[in-house]
Amino acid sequence: MAIDMSQFHQVFFEETSEHLASMETLLLDLDVANPSPEQLNAIFRAAHSIKGGSGTFGFTDMTEVTHVLETLLDRLRKQEIVLRPEMIDAFLAAGDVLRAQLAHHQGGPAADQASIDDVRARLQGLASDGEEAGVEPAAVAPALRQIMLECVLPPAIAGKPAVVTNLMAALEDVAAVNVEHRPDADNPRLAAMLTCTLTDDEIREALAFYLAPDEIHLAEPGAEEEAYGFFQDVEPTQAAAPVGEAAIPDADPGYGFFVDLPTADTEPAIEVPICEADPDGRFGLFEDAPGKPEHLPRRDVSPAESPAAIEGLGYGLFVDAPGGCGLFDEAPGAEVACAAAWPEPSSGRRLIDNPSVEVARTGRRETDKTATAANSDTSIRVSVDKVDQLVNLVGELVITQAMLAEAAGRLDPGLAERLLLGVDQLARNSRDLQEAVMSIRMLPIGMVFSRFPRVVRDLAGKLGKQVEFRTVGESTELDKSLIEKIADPLTHLVRNSLDHGIETPEARIATGKPPRGTLTLRASHQGGNIVVEVIDDGAGLDRARILAKARERELPAHDGMSDHEVWQLIFAPGFSTAEQVTDLSGRGVGMDVVRRNIEGLGGRVELESSPGHGTRTVIRLPLTLAILDGMSVDVAGETYIVPINAVVESLQVPADALRTLGGDSRVVRVRDEYLPLVALAEVMGVPEAAPGPGIVVVVETDEGKAALLVDALLGQHQVVIKSLESNYRKVPGMSGATILGDGRVALILDVPAIVRLGLASGRRREAA
Amino acid sequence: MEASETPGSAAAGEYLTFTLADEEYGIDILKVQEIRGYDAVTRIANAPPFIKGVINLRGIIVPIVDLRIRFNLGEPTYDAFTVVIILNIGRRVIGIVVDTVSDVIRLGAEAIHPAPEFGSVLDTRHLLGLGTVDERMIILVDIERLMTSQDMALVDDATETTNGTSQ
Repeated sequence: MAIDMSQFHQVFFEETSEHLASMETLLLDLDVANPSPEQLNAIFRAAHSIKGGSGTFGFTDMTEVTHVLETLLDRLRKQEIVLRPEMIDAFLAAGDVLRAQLAHHQGGPAADQASIDDVRARLQGLASDGEEAGVEPAAVAPALRQIMLECVLPPAIAGKPAVVTNLMAALEDVAAVNVEHRPDADNPRLAAMLTCTLTDDEIREALAFYLAPDEIHLAEPGAEEEAYGFFQDVEPTQAAAPVGEAAIPDADPGYGFFVDLPTADTEPAIEVPICEADPDGRFGLFEDAPGKPEHLPRRDVSPAESPAAIEGLGYGLFVDAPGGCGLFDEAPGAEVACAAAWPEPSSGRRLIDNPSVEVARTGRRETDKTATAANSDTSIRVSVDKVDQLVNLVGELVITQAMLAEAAGRLDPGLAERLLLGVDQLARNSRDLQEAVMSIRMLPIGMVFSRFPRVVRDLAGKLGKQVEFRTVGESTELDKSLIEKIADPLTHLVRNSLDHGIETPEARIATGKPPRGTLTLRASHQGGNIVVEVIDDGAGLDRARILAKARERELPAHDGMSDHEVWQLIFAPGFSTAEQVTDLSGRGVGMDVVRRNIEGLGGRVELESSPGHGTRTVIRLPLTLAILDGMSVDVAGETYIVPINAVVESLQVPADALRTLGGDSRVVRVRDEYLPLVALAEVMGVPEAAPGPGIVVVVETDEGKAALLVDALLGQHQVVIKSLESNYRKVPGMSGATILGDGRVALILDVPAIVRLGLASGRRREAA
Repeated sequence: MEASETPGSAAAGEYLTFTLADEEYGIDILKVQEIRGYDAVTRIANAPPFIKGVINLRGIIVPIVDLRIRFNLGEPTYDAFTVVIILNIGRRVIGIVVDTVSDVIRLGAEAIHPAPEFGSVLDTRHLLGLGTVDERMIILVDIERLMTSQDMALVDDATETTNGTSQ
């Protein structure tokens, strides 16, 4: 089994979020005119850590972005280039992109590719151009702009690859080039997106050696995008600028921040098409920005502030930082940013120095609030220990409440009416409290599912299979501890399905199936259980091969076994039908471990398979590991708890329904079925009650149904599970203990184990 | 001089003494969490006879060991005077049943003599030595070592007790 990387992923996510947050804080604190080397170093280190981490975990998209970021930062801290305001904006935009990517890796929607490309281009542009720009930071700094270059090269040039290469190199000297069409002898068209600070004339000049200036067609890429409200940063100064500058979709919010933001009055006119959140954000941010860069440092965030606050602040400042790209392409990150910018007045206020502006905006902000905002900014990070402590305390409370209720039950209702009312109220309140506290530990199963698309894609690629991966019910919540423990078994099942289940495209076509197989992970609630299914439409289990293998392994197998029994063989230790051991699966350590893990969680595994149509593995888990619904039964004076999810029914059987089989093994006839009988008293080593009509609890385990013989049924209630192991040891047949209403301890039966024990003790007696 | 001895070394310190049948035993006072009466225990199936079961000690499940059974000291009786000493051993909480608790005594190194080898139920390895107070002999038990030993079956790696018909 592969090392479970998910636990490390979480650490990476947390660390990276922190690095991003600290990077942002540092960037905002940075004095552009006179950056402190210490701060630059700190920013560099943060970027470097993110790059290292993302590289380690294979999140190459993040590595790519951080790489260009790091390159620029490295030059800055070595003082090879001078820090300029737009660099900060580019860095911040890069931070947003990274955050979106991070969110994506954590299961969020994919980061917007356009904004990623844009940020990279900007960073590359900044890293490659450089020195000349620092001259007039407060005046109209050369804007980083994107220009679509199109021209048709003369055949003399297009036909010579070496010359073309030189030409491209010349271009790359002055701008970050994103080539759309590289000219060749057949098609001399050159099309490239340039990101640079040059004016059109300067670009023409750079290519003068190869082309006449009028042959070069330069176009703003934003021209067609105007309608989408791309140009939030267009200002009068630019409108008056030469050759098409009016149309510059200046992605650089640095303008807004530092120099030439027009007055607030003119903005809305320009911005009409922009989504509402944006003008809001910009008003607040930029209202007092022009010419007052000194406002920036004031927005610093003290380290003591909650991460959420820092995050909110970050988003707020950068709400339109990714320029048109991020916000209006419905990039998920940007969406969140939009919404998160004004989660609540308190964090909003921190952003804005001018209260009047805020007041003007308040009404609008209300409408901008979305569910996303509520989710992202009203949550807090709390250590699991604290939650567990809370769970324990509530458990104690529930026990105490049960004790009180029992004691109060003995009182005369006439005399103690008010007390009894109070006890009733307490019962309700503590139940509600318990549910509320337990729900804190609940996490969506999507956290586990989200790691599988990558696993599936990688594995399918390795195996040469085409697989479509689907998840259903990602929002199904289950206990955090279960989330952690379900990942491994699920990975196993997914790998099995890919490796053994889904066929190669050729094989699938040969059997009339679409070449692309489907693998589905589905989670749902069913009663008090969580059901997780792994479904593939592959070849299904091969009954004959499993039987043959079982005989080879000397497992009890015969041709008359039902399919269900045959599938159970797969769970035997050391069983594998893979003809060859691959590095993916097939070492035969799989399914028995899966079953043991799931049973360890109080769950069950079932297999369904139909040859040629696929296999379905169903995992049933309790909602939580801390509480279970139990039926309390009496066995020779002791109380035991039978988990209710294992109970099928309980009934009183006449003495003659208990039959012996081969001497001492007993079966009980329940309607038309003969079920093996496990006398709990015998398993517990106490003398059995006098034979007579008994009460049996019919339970279902992975190995089939069985009947537990008990002395009496006492009741059904929720019990708080206590570990026996913390002070004692694992007790065979018991999964834990709980404290009853009277303060006594009752053991909780581990049903599959107790059935095995019971049947084994029957066999032993036979042998004796 | 505080009881900072390493287990097994005959060390001076304060000991809680208790009686099992006619014998007087002493254990390191620092291992004792509290002393309480014997309460109803919940029996654990198929456990060795000296493990009486588990109790609820303010919300935690604590196993109870009857040292009288463990040391083969006559027929144990459970009455109002039966005492359970709750021990803190490592990070575990374990209760031991004894007949009566006597007192806390201070023993200097000179009052502790090494226990002779005797092949009885009491393994010498589990003894710190024999203490003398006036004319009384106090058997000083290394309670931590005893409780964590394999044959107490109190910890998980102990041999599986699958004998289904004990008792």
